[in-house]
Amino acid sequence: MAVSLRALARRLLGVTRTPTYYLPWLTLNGLECALILNNVEARFKPGENQGPFPATVVQYDADGSVVRECTVSVRDTADAVELPLVPTSRGYGVVTVSTEHLRSDLYVTLSDGDSYTATHGRSEFVETYPRRVRFLLVLLGRLLEPLGRTVPAFVRDQYVYAGRDGRSHLLLLNLSNVTNRIRVVVHRDTARAAAPLVALPPRGARLLDVGTLAHVDEALTPLALRLQGNAWFNLYLVGAGPRDLAGPLSLMHVK
Amino acid sequence: MSSDLSALLSATFYEKGDNHRIELIHQRDRAAHRRLESLDLALYDPEGKGLREVPIDTRQEILDLGALVGTVTDASPRVMVLLDARYDARIFPYRPHHYGFLHRRGSTAAALYYAANAVLGGVPDRIGATGLNNFETYIFLRRPLAERYSVLLGNPARFSTAEAQVTSYYATERVAQPVALPPKAHVEVPLAGEHAGERLQRVEIKALFRLASYVVGRRADSGDLVLFDHLFSYHR
Repeated sequence: MAVSLRALARRLLGVTRTPTYYLPWLTLNGLECALILNNVEARFKPGENQGPFPATVVQYDADGSVVRECTVSVRDTADAVELPLVPTSRGYGVVTVSTEHLRSDLYVTLSDGDSYTATHGRSEFVETYPRRVRFLLVLLGRLLEPLGRTVPAFVRDQYVYAGRDGRSHLLLLNLSNVTNRIRVVVHRDTARAAAPLVALPPRGARLLDVGTLAHVDEALTPLALRLQGNAWFNLYLVGAGPRDLAGPLSLMHVK
Repeated sequence: MSSDLSALLSATFYEKGDNHRIELIHQRDRAAHRRLESLDLALYDPEGKGLREVPIDTRQEILDLGALVGTVTDASPRVMVLLDARYDARIFPYRPHHYGFLHRRGSTAAALYYAANAVLGGVPDRIGATGLNNFETYIFLRRPLAERYSVLLGNPARFSTAEAQVTSYYATERVAQPVALPPKAHVEVPLAGEHAGERLQRVEIKALFRLASYVVGRRADSGDLVLFDHLFSYHR
């Protein structure tokens, strides 16, 4: 029922969804970030396994600006193209890959030069809101902001972990063309610890330091987050070690 | 594990020294918790010997695997953990899943977060399609790094030995390693980072039955985990 109501609301508001494969990227502190583009999962699918497979890659910075747009061609289903992403001063964001020809999960890797970590992206969609809805959301956002609230159009729950030796930060991705005000309600055990409101520009991203959400103890402490956003968004976890964001990092998709 | 549509059998591996937490329900919403009816956890050594079975209080949110395995005397350095979860069928179409946080104590490597391998069940319309999840692949970054690669395989079956073939692909060569796992046994199969002067590009696992499978990367010097991820099925 909730799903059909949401679909009805989208239709009434004129919101369009464009199928998109997206991944996070991160180049903080000199980390090398690269995509691995491939079509290996189509290897046994007749009609889909004949290359070459061209794809357009768009790298967005944290402020939503386009860092780079390029076309890549995956030769055949045995091929894998490694595409280094461009470092920026902000050091993170979202990257989209067109999926008209690619039918495989794509990887994003982070390397400190000694080893690398990896995760994959999501084959979902981005949402485009018409001008009048964008205006309405801006208006509502400004009204609710002083109260620390947002329009809770999308809700996600996620655990993060904080400890001296290791922790998981949150990389929020705005998958829409409106400013996305996301309220992050943080619970430690059963007590509410914080409820910051963060604003992500269209197609922008925000790295949320878990240390700003709750006091970090020596022992690993789970925090339960409930995230509410006024537009479509997703998140990745950024794993850190004892050097925190200055050390090696990992990225991980969530449900 | 029954053929109950609302059952989900997941598997992971705990290694001594790891700070390893498993989320009973990935999404903390109240409805999801109400719909987790039971969770039984079982631990197995590499030969498949049962070490401990524990019914878990479903009101718990996150399990500390280290604390659980620590109660087993003479546990092996690596144990397979099977999580047998039963859900009220109203949880669907939401696909239940366990996620985990993983970091070796004292390691300078980044903490990892991962999706626990759903070995059986979890998605009603896929149950019975036994050929779907046992032919998987994973692609590696090709540049040489100070890292060792492997796959961790476990046989969750109760009675059958499972045979699998682990094939490493290089630019022009491939290397196949046969594996036979008795019920509940598990093994780490090393993958050569280089073969005949060519870098490891990809690994493929073929098995008659669904196995618990993770691709693993470890720092060459310390053995600390830097990759712990699921592979990708050809047939979804």
